[in-house]
Amino acid sequence: MSEEKKEKIKVIDARGSFCPGPLMELIRAIKESEVGDIIEVWSTDQGSQRDIPMWAQKAGHEFLGVIHEQGYDRIRVRKKK
Amino acid sequence: MPRKIVVVGGGTGGTIVANNLAHRLYSEIVNGKVEITVVDPSAYHVYQPAWLLIPFRIMHQNEAIRPERSLLAETVKFRQEKAKRIDLNNRVVETDSAKLQYDFLVIATGAQPDYSQVPGLEKAGYDFYTFDNSLKLREALGRFSGGKLVTVVAGIPFKCPPAPIEFVFLADSYFSRLGVRDKIELSYVYPLPRPFTIQGVAEEVGKLMEQKKINMNLLFNVESIDPEKKEIRSLEGETLKYDLAVIVPPHTGADVVRNSGIADKGGWIPTDKYTLNVKGYDDAYAIGDATDLPVSKAGSAADFEAAVVATNIHDQLKGLAPSMRYNGRVMCFMTTAIGEATILIFDYDHPPVPPPPNFACYWYKLVYNRMYWTITAKGLLSGFGV
Repeated sequence: MSEEKKEKIKVIDARGSFCPGPLMELIRAIKESEVGDIIEVWSTDQGSQRDIPMWAQKAGHEFLGVIHEQGYDRIRVRKKK
Repeated sequence: MPRKIVVVGGGTGGTIVANNLAHRLYSEIVNGKVEITVVDPSAYHVYQPAWLLIPFRIMHQNEAIRPERSLLAETVKFRQEKAKRIDLNNRVVETDSAKLQYDFLVIATGAQPDYSQVPGLEKAGYDFYTFDNSLKLREALGRFSGGKLVTVVAGIPFKCPPAPIEFVFLADSYFSRLGVRDKIELSYVYPLPRPFTIQGVAEEVGKLMEQKKINMNLLFNVESIDPEKKEIRSLEGETLKYDLAVIVPPHTGADVVRNSGIADKGGWIPTDKYTLNVKGYDDAYAIGDATDLPVSKAGSAADFEAAVVATNIHDQLKGLAPSMRYNGRVMCFMTTAIGEATILIFDYDHPPVPPPPNFACYWYKLVYNRMYWTITAKGLLSGFGV
């Protein structure tokens, strides 16, 4: 995590947004970010755990994992290109 | 002084809520105790679901438009004015020619296509999201006799989520009937990993696409379009070539809500999912496509929501507690061929379980298109099934 702390993490709070809101928010954020940036989407929608990794893989970005919190998930993706 | 109810927007939701209130409050209105005013810049009311059907000659454009005044109850005032600003704190709607004070407000300003969100979109393709574009698409389909026809969703949310699926299914039937289907490659292009937002429906749609030999290109988020080269590029790095592109444009909320500081980033009004109050205001409501609710942007949702809001405003005027809640009910026909449709009925807690496509649903969909003017828009059905 010490490595990660130095990196720029942009948090998108999409809690309360329903499918496909969190994925659409992530896509918008990726467009506005620099290569190497990490985007962390906060989502209460269960579908995000499935859709976001699939999209990241197809779009050529790196899916970094999901951190489960009380009532929501923090889903991280690194912009690769 | 009468208590004033102002409805901004004379589309499906605005017209139904005004008529429903007019029925409930008839004696109060004629006795001067209540006044209902609808504000809309257009003198005409358009039945937007027709835009999908006009290109296939299933409906005619003259069936899709009526004067708004002819639909509103006589007791409802109609101001053909453009709302410029809504001040929720001071209870004022400012139009291009007046300032309207209200006691209760209903915002029913709908959704509008935003072609500026995708470079090249405006010149690139065809769509069925305005009256003019629906007519242009009818011409284009009439001329098209072979090549790649792509149906692309360029942004979510948009009005009538099943519409692009219906378009591609209708195109399959239409060209089959003309005897040229084997010369046309049909593709359906969608931003998500499945062809529809709701998983169960997506599975059924996927099977039908396969049966009808329609290509599905999923996880394709449109980045830009080159109308000269006839190419669509995606954020995921793909390039899609086409001969005829039918593109569902990204949508946003109305200018008046975005200019009044009421809307979220997407242009939608933060709305309580049960009471339909604009969040933070018990004297202001939002219904239909204008809201940020997690339901389809569809006329049936606006109809069900209108009943909730009309009941609660009536109760508030009578000093009763507003007790009706919206349950997220939506009811949409989904055409699967010329002569076949299914129906999606769902709410916040119950996903749709569509029956197998059949002629009865298709027939009822067409009948309903005609009933809209005499029953639904008049506010006579509003409230059934909420």
